[in-house]
Amino acid sequence: MSYFNSIISSVGISLIGIMSMYIITGMTGMFSLGQASFMAVGAYVAGILAVNLKLPFALCLVAAVVVGALVGFLVGLPTTRLRKDYIALVTLAFGEAIIAILNNLTAFGGAMGLSGIPKRTTPALVIISVVLIAGMVWQLKKSRFGRQCMALKDDPLAAKSMGIDVDRIKLMSFTLASGVTAYAGALYAFNTTYLDPTAFTWNVSAEWIIILVFGGINSLTGALTSGVLLGLLPELLRAASEWRIIIYCVIVLLIINFRPQGLFGNYELNLRTLGRDVKRLFTKRKNINEVKK
Amino acid sequence: MSALLEVNGMTKSFGGIHAVSDVSLKLEKDQIVTVMGPNGAGKTTVFNLITGIYTVDRGSVTLADQDMTNKKQEEITRAGIARTFQNIRLFNGLTCLENVMCAHDPLIKYSLFDCIYPSPRKRRLDRENRELALSYLEAIGLQDYKDEDPFSLPYGMQRKLEIARALATMPQVLLLDEPAAGLNTVEVEDLMVLIEKLKKTFNLSILLIDHRMELVMGLSDYIYVLNFGQLLAEGTPQAIQENAEVQRVYVGGEE
Repeated sequence: MSYFNSIISSVGISLIGIMSMYIITGMTGMFSLGQASFMAVGAYVAGILAVNLKLPFALCLVAAVVVGALVGFLVGLPTTRLRKDYIALVTLAFGEAIIAILNNLTAFGGAMGLSGIPKRTTPALVIISVVLIAGMVWQLKKSRFGRQCMALKDDPLAAKSMGIDVDRIKLMSFTLASGVTAYAGALYAFNTTYLDPTAFTWNVSAEWIIILVFGGINSLTGALTSGVLLGLLPELLRAASEWRIIIYCVIVLLIINFRPQGLFGNYELNLRTLGRDVKRLFTKRKNINEVKK
Repeated sequence: MSALLEVNGMTKSFGGIHAVSDVSLKLEKDQIVTVMGPNGAGKTTVFNLITGIYTVDRGSVTLADQDMTNKKQEEITRAGIARTFQNIRLFNGLTCLENVMCAHDPLIKYSLFDCIYPSPRKRRLDRENRELALSYLEAIGLQDYKDEDPFSLPYGMQRKLEIARALATMPQVLLLDEPAAGLNTVEVEDLMVLIEKLKKTFNLSILLIDHRMELVMGLSDYIYVLNFGQLLAEGTPQAIQENAEVQRVYVGGEE
């Protein structure tokens, strides 16, 4: 049972990370290769408060989100004004810098890692968090904020011409996403009970982007589906231990090659679209039958 | 009393090329004014300078006595100057309706918290925006395509959708950059009727760029002709048609 619990927790936490990436990349069109370092910020803030100050769990979570969003705002202030490719570079540099600092901060464990965090994250909490955050991001996408994000993602110049304050929206999106990532980090800290800076390097951010692209960069439900699929895949392929990374890579490459818009493309899975598709399926059947007659 | 939109001595160079030099034009309220000229005359550059995409080297732009020179694009739009683009620039990933809605979104006030939580205030404001956007789509006759992907529509409809999107920013002045480009004769006639209708319904003053003579002569109250970035002639459609200089540039001189 604990094996399943740990899988649920780890997949759920990475889903939260993927959703924060969805806000930045899927909705706003910025590439952040340092997003995992905000997870480190959240994890360390929560961990330090819990270990050194013995603060209650809930307070640690809140503090992690606030500090994460604040750091996101400060990093975003100069960064989000840049063009897409430069944003990727600067966030990558920032992310690696955070890891280097944490590696050398001996007060908080340094390269030895920070240990002694109580285990407070339960699978139930993770599932509730994923559902709540997914609801929030869904609302965000359908709000005035989300529409402006999608507009400026596609064409910043035309977006400005429609009165959209591109720089401000990008900064807000970056800040918000950083807060969400920091929350994932805090959950991570209370799940593993041990923090090691190398767990938050840029490959984690890159993996989130891969999962996002795999699921369809414009689709939140696509991102969640591919997050679960690709998160579980290494576990399912455990029997073929030597081959699993290769199989994983082949699947990703096949999708990118033959379905560049991702698994879902622009499609969002919800009751409305599901109802429409089922209806379409049946009307199609009916038409075919009529033709046959 | 000065005109609604006034451009005075506007000059812009890119390196050694004088794209626009010393251009002045006026748009009075409730007028349709056309800027015409051969390819590369600097018409679109004039639009880009008015809307703040490029910065003006010299000269000024004023809207209802307010200085708009070298302000940010979004500020200029919010002050009441909206535009369409010559090469259609609709937003991919948003439906037709959302394309129009997002142009009105900067004018709506609800907080970031309302964005992540379906509060009554948000739902009310979003519903109002949706209805408003739908009314713009109805005005251009695209209400049946509201949930379609804009890039699946025919070219002429995409142009109209761009106009609806510009209207959603609640402009006083509408800048139309070659709205008739790529349209056939019937579509151009439709478009002329539409522009007249929109002008009346939404109380617009329109600055227009176009080549199509039937459209330019049929709609304009006043015409400016640009050539190599300079004003070649200005006047009523009648006067422009009879202007020998304009004929020489457009048709070629009779040697």
